[in-house]
Amino acid sequence: MSFSAWLELIASGLITGGIYALVALGLNLQYGLMRILNIAHGEFLMVGAFLTWMVQTSFGLSPLWMIPVSFGLLYVLGVAVHWLCFRRLTATSPNLDVFEARGLMVAFGLMFLVQNFISYVWGGDLRGYDYLTQPLAIPLPGGSAQFAVNKLVVFALALLFSGALILLLRTTLLGKGVRALMQSPTGAQLMGINTKRLHPMMFGIGLGLSGVAGCLLSMAYTISPSMGEPYTVTALIVITLGGFGSMGGALAGGLLLGVIEALGMHFTNPSLKALLSYVVFIGVLLLRPEGLFARKSRKA
Amino acid sequence: MNSRQFLIRDLLVLFGLTGWAVALPGFASEFIVSMALTCLMYIALSSSWALFCGTTRYLSLATSAFFGIGAYASAILLEQVSWSQAIALGALIAAAVAIVMGAAVLHLRGTYFAVLTFGMTELIRHAISYFEKTVTGTVGRVLMVVPERDTIYFTVLLLAVGTVALSIAIRRTRFGLAMLGIGADEQRAQTLGVNTRLVKIAGFALTAAVAGAVGAAMSVRWTYIDPHTVFNPFIGFQTVLIALIGGAATLWGPLIAAIVFSVLAETLRLQVPQVYMMSLGLLLILAVLYLPGGLASLRTETFRGWRDSFKAWWTETKDDLSGEAKRRKLRETQLRERRDVF
Repeated sequence: MSFSAWLELIASGLITGGIYALVALGLNLQYGLMRILNIAHGEFLMVGAFLTWMVQTSFGLSPLWMIPVSFGLLYVLGVAVHWLCFRRLTATSPNLDVFEARGLMVAFGLMFLVQNFISYVWGGDLRGYDYLTQPLAIPLPGGSAQFAVNKLVVFALALLFSGALILLLRTTLLGKGVRALMQSPTGAQLMGINTKRLHPMMFGIGLGLSGVAGCLLSMAYTISPSMGEPYTVTALIVITLGGFGSMGGALAGGLLLGVIEALGMHFTNPSLKALLSYVVFIGVLLLRPEGLFARKSRKA
Repeated sequence: MNSRQFLIRDLLVLFGLTGWAVALPGFASEFIVSMALTCLMYIALSSSWALFCGTTRYLSLATSAFFGIGAYASAILLEQVSWSQAIALGALIAAAVAIVMGAAVLHLRGTYFAVLTFGMTELIRHAISYFEKTVTGTVGRVLMVVPERDTIYFTVLLLAVGTVALSIAIRRTRFGLAMLGIGADEQRAQTLGVNTRLVKIAGFALTAAVAGAVGAAMSVRWTYIDPHTVFNPFIGFQTVLIALIGGAATLWGPLIAAIVFSVLAETLRLQVPQVYMMSLGLLLILAVLYLPGGLASLRTETFRGWRDSFKAWWTETKDDLSGEAKRRKLRETQLRERRDVF
């Protein structure tokens, strides 16, 4: 295999990995901050994708405009969901373990609700539209590689949004508050950080990011009401790779998983793709439950 | 009532229900019997799930894996062995898989355990479909040897009754108490001399054996199986849902919920399948939020509690909207200030 073929393979892995990272970041934000393992995360991604598809096909608006719109809509939806379900759950659960188990169940219910609502409204067909599908040749040392423009746009935007979230958490006062809450909820509350304001907001941002990811996905792939679940599972794999609650880890884990899948598919067989990611997932969970990149071991 | 009277009551209820179910194929239509069969399948699955997961509070999502393993076992073996042997083998293979899986994952708790069992289910499903595609060259299997409808019905009935009887019995043994202890506080149970590892693996294998047997019995009903139908994660999800909505810690909760859901499923699924699934999701959310003990924990006091909390909420909202809360605060401040003067 030539050098440029290697590069092309790795680049295509990185492109899928970018989306994985974006989906996983939203989920990781919710789990790391509030201990809500939102199994319905992929379903909200699907909602974002369907919104973009609907607007694109009925009004001809460029999908790029839909990125802020779907972020905003899903943000509002996220705040509403948090207000309706998780606020009461926080108030009534005796401890964090019970809260986590019940939160998982509520997320299950949401998954059923959202997925079937969408398939009730729009039907279960595969859908899609064309957007910037022409190929673009990128000169590389020792040949050139061809990529569809839309996939490159998707990759760039996914990286942009992931980077923006990480910057938001690293540099702003808001991010400092969120990180403090992740480290020690009680300590942060004693320092005057308002959980009642931050939790719905971060839940909303998590859902908003999944809406953005869905919007990006609809530019390059076909969409259907059942598309969400594989992405939820992938996001779970990614956050196990990167460590629960670690944002940089999720970004690196997403890109890594994309490359692993691309390489594995090339060298074995495309039907092994799902098998491969589950093997990685279970292997990591069993051997290093604190994540691949964790420096010191924390109690799982 | 003391525990002996409870035992007698439970056994009598079970006996009555069994008699009813035995008589059903004699007079009911084809449609009703097929509905009852689905109902019995979910009774067996969710009661066995609650037997281990409800008491120890380990949330397993692997039911569909064991169900699928049982289904495949009977599909492959039924041409060589008899009906009852095929079911026993299905249960055995599922239990063996559960022992291996349990030994690997049962030291993890909470969300990790739930996610990991789900991952393993998907892994088994993908592995079997890959194996079928590359080695045998087909995706699905057609079952040639199919027993009578009544044979399937009575087998599943036997399994369902057996599972409920088993949970009645296990509740009264040291093993059941050990599982309850693990659910309450695992470290304390360990300190008090319970071999938690062994108990957990045994309980998990027991659940898996029932699920495997049910899968083995149900596979012949479809006459054509492929990994996508028998390893359908939906079977596992629905089992968990039914057990939780009914009340995973109770004996009769899963049974009540299974009956309710089968009726709901058959009436709604044909016309609007999505509405059925949506109501399932909505009910689960409502149950977790407002009735954490499940349907079986519903008492008159529960309604009274809901009414009281609704009343409190309504008064609060009304006061907020009409400015009464603000005025009350102002009055209190004024009162305090007046006191400070003297």
